[in-house]
Amino acid sequence: MQTRTPSTVIVVGSGIVGAATAYFLAKRGVAVQLLDATAPAAEATGAADGAVSVASKRPGPMMQAALAGVELYRNLAKAGLFADVFKSRSTFIVASSDEECSVLTSHADALAGAGVRVERLGAAMLRERFPALSSNAMMAVEVHDEGHAIGYQIVHRLLTASGTIVARRTPVEGLVRASGGSRVVAVATPQGNLQADAVVIAAGNGSGKLLGLEQILTPRKGQLLITERVPPLNAAMAGSIMSGRYLLSKGSQPAGNGKPARGLGLVIDPLSTGQFLIGGTREDHGDRQTNDIDAVSRILADAVALVPELAAVRLLRSFAGVRTAVTDGLPLVGRIPGLENAYVATGFEGDGICLGPITGKVMSELVCGESPCIDIAPFNPARFDGLGVAA
Amino acid sequence: MRDPDILVIGGGPAGMSAALEAARSGLAVELVEQRESLGGAIYRQPIEGVQVIPQSAGARGRWAALSQAFSKAAIPVRFGSVFLGVDGHGYVLVENRQNGLVECLSPRAVVLATGAVEHVHPRPGWQFAGVSTAGGLQVMMKETGTAPRGSVLLAGSGPLLIAVAAQMARLGNPPLAIVESGDPYRRIMPGLSMLGFPKLLAEALGYLKDIHLHRIPWLRGSRLVRIERQGERFSAVVRAGDGSQSTFVCDRIGLHDGIRPNDYGLPQASSEAAAGPVILRAGDCREALGAIAAEADGRRAGRLAIQGVAASAADDIGKIDRQRRAQALLARLFAPVDDRSALDELADDTLLCRCEGKTVGDLRNLCQRVDSLTGREVKHNGRFAMGACQGRFCAANTAALMARFKPEAPASSAADLTGRRWPVRPVSIGALVRAASRDNDTQ
Ligand SMILES: Cc1cc2nc3c(=O)[nH]c(=O)nc-3n(C[C@H](O)[C@H](O)[C@H](O)COP(=O)(O)OP(=O)(O)OC[C@H]3O[C@@H](n4cnc5c(N)ncnc54)[C@H](O)[C@@H]3O)c2cc1C
Ligand SMILES: Cc1cc2nc3c(=O)[nH]c(=O)nc-3n(C[C@H](O)[C@H](O)[C@H](O)COP(=O)(O)OP(=O)(O)OC[C@H]3O[C@@H](n4cnc5c(N)ncnc54)[C@H](O)[C@@H]3O)c2cc1C
Repeated sequence: MQTRTPSTVIVVGSGIVGAATAYFLAKRGVAVQLLDATAPAAEATGAADGAVSVASKRPGPMMQAALAGVELYRNLAKAGLFADVFKSRSTFIVASSDEECSVLTSHADALAGAGVRVERLGAAMLRERFPALSSNAMMAVEVHDEGHAIGYQIVHRLLTASGTIVARRTPVEGLVRASGGSRVVAVATPQGNLQADAVVIAAGNGSGKLLGLEQILTPRKGQLLITERVPPLNAAMAGSIMSGRYLLSKGSQPAGNGKPARGLGLVIDPLSTGQFLIGGTREDHGDRQTNDIDAVSRILADAVALVPELAAVRLLRSFAGVRTAVTDGLPLVGRIPGLENAYVATGFEGDGICLGPITGKVMSELVCGESPCIDIAPFNPARFDGLGVAA
Repeated sequence: MRDPDILVIGGGPAGMSAALEAARSGLAVELVEQRESLGGAIYRQPIEGVQVIPQSAGARGRWAALSQAFSKAAIPVRFGSVFLGVDGHGYVLVENRQNGLVECLSPRAVVLATGAVEHVHPRPGWQFAGVSTAGGLQVMMKETGTAPRGSVLLAGSGPLLIAVAAQMARLGNPPLAIVESGDPYRRIMPGLSMLGFPKLLAEALGYLKDIHLHRIPWLRGSRLVRIERQGERFSAVVRAGDGSQSTFVCDRIGLHDGIRPNDYGLPQASSEAAAGPVILRAGDCREALGAIAAEADGRRAGRLAIQGVAASAADDIGKIDRQRRAQALLARLFAPVDDRSALDELADDTLLCRCEGKTVGDLRNLCQRVDSLTGREVKHNGRFAMGACQGRFCAANTAALMARFKPEAPASSAADLTGRRWPVRPVSIGALVRAASRDNDTQ
């Protein structure tokens, strides 16, 4: 493969993936145009939890990617770029029933087998290490060397550091090909065609339409909650708490009564502001305007069951975002089949904050004709045929 | 308990008249009020055992009529209950602070009548304890029947300042001075036009008489530019129209720069029943036009709630229009003498967001970037409107300052910063956990 660094690249979408792609390309001296239908971090990235974590992963390509993702966060924090926006902390997966204990035990073995530093905490140890935890907690697994990052802060940091200016309110409507060819020469926008040597699509839920993949990329809503500041309780939490049930509920569970399927997985994250971020749901639709009392009260009931003192804390806000899921559970990262200079990076579902920076790095390598620093073969978009690009 | 057909939020004149009007239809109407008594901002009732402070004859008459009609109609009121929002499934969420439960109601229509809030411009030192809103002092007087203690300076703009000064004087503690950035005496045309609103004029003249009698300096065309701590007291620097500065030493300061709808986080008005109730707004939270308009607007909304159609009576619309003209006139009368907005001269270290400690300079830095940040980006990256007050203190000021720092950027509104998510007020997690979710009940 010849190395061919393009001099101009258009990146479509300024979520964390697009912003990171623009950052790494700009660092190589490429002139990047970053376009967004609305504004930076306007979609999933601006309404995410932000666990930078492998704790819930099973061995496989996603775990490998997440390990590289966490490592990059740590390195960029050390290098200063993410110094104050990456909170290093452990994840505690807590089991409160025999069923959860057994799932958690085998999960911990799998993590350890993949080289993740984990520690098993029995009830007594747990009480000592985590006094805020309810006595219902039977055991926990501490997953070390993880962290938390807030999507919109990472995007802001990446854009500021690379001097990238986002063209806001610039929706891309299609890719423009050289006549009959496999080269993309421009993207079509309401403001006219914008030209570049290469194009990266990182448009989250907008990507399906651009790629003709509406059947494969599906929206998955999540509701999240944020509390007031409670510094003492926050400081008493050694890391984030993930309910062991989360391991059982990744992916949506079917619900009765003809309602859209929705799963509930509890994560309580102590933020550096002294607040708590509590989530969340997985619902198979894309309406992020609303929060409902049913979901909110269930999430909070689970949270209080694990950390009873939360009952006395006030909820400040609810919000919701929409993840971009892929039917086979793996993201789309790579060149778009049939096009020589157009690429896609999307479909990270609930892992895009963790994987955003590493994906940006990978995309900059791909676009510049280098081999990527992690194995992205399992994420190759060519696994879906019928990928037809809107033109 | 059966759910009401129509739920009215807010027990001020707008909410009470909306409930009365809706109840005529025979439908089940209930009213939700966060406090323990009705009356709203204008007819705020004294706490038990306290002597009522006299109001103008007009206001007394209106309250007597409204409160009598209301008790006759026997409309159930949920006191001590805070409206939190309408959720995604259409439930109206109300926090009952008496039993610590969040209740989920399913009315056919909900009328939001949450009133107005005072607008206060940021000024250096406005965050100190002891500096409050002038309206806050007024509410305190209405509830306790006594004037705030110590020497008090009132500053800002608008007729409310002279009303508060007059009430303080009647209760025996006139303020040191009223610092007023406008100068109604110099605005001849709007002044003459006020003759068309004799009731308002009579009320204002009544206040001015008290101010004159008690020799309260009414410093027109002046601005309070800075508040500094001086031991237990404050020194307040006031700049007059000719640029000269003077300093007042005082114990308390009441600020007021007008009122605006208390619509923070409120769901948008809706007529189509997508999911859940028809949502209407009435009174000052729809358009801040004062008590007379609020009562008429409440009747309009009450009728709309039962009929689901625009069935506004001509006389109510006429009343509202007239009050709109009156308010526009008052705004011209009290227009600042100094053309420069008070916002233009704020030093960078002036606190803008009191909850998160963010300054005017923090906002200026964000706005000085080459690209134009949206309101939501400013919120996220500057933490404006993100604190415990949920933007009540800073959202409108932040949006106004953004427009000044970057006039070429698309304008952002206060709602762009605050969003429209529930809860509109912080609510105890314990109360939410105990929410009797109907979803759970019925399945
Ligand atoms: C509730 C919730 C919780 C989450 N928790 C976590 C977590 O704990 N850890 C984690 O790692 N991840 C988490 N995620 C997932 C993470 O937020 C996403 O995977 C990630 O933000 C995706 O980033 P993105 O850049 O691919 O897409 P987005 O952030 O969705 O960005 C896409 C951008 O493209 C723009 N766009 C769309 N169409 C067009 C078009 N045609 N033209 C131009 N621009 C366009 C949009 O305006 C948007 O700005 C969570 C997500 C949600 C919703
Ligand atoms: C400080 C101040 C002083 C004023 N002084 C004058 C004056 O002198 N003369 C004049 O004509 N007008 C004055 N006004 C305006 C006058 O108060 C209003 O025009 C009039 O009261 C508006 O009636 P309303 O019913 O729309 O709102 P309000 O009278 O304000 O009533 C709103 C009611 O809703 C309740 N409420 C608000 N939010 C919630 C919630 N989430 N849950 C439950 N209940 C809630 C409040 O407790 C209140 O009782 C003043 C306004 C303010 C803010």
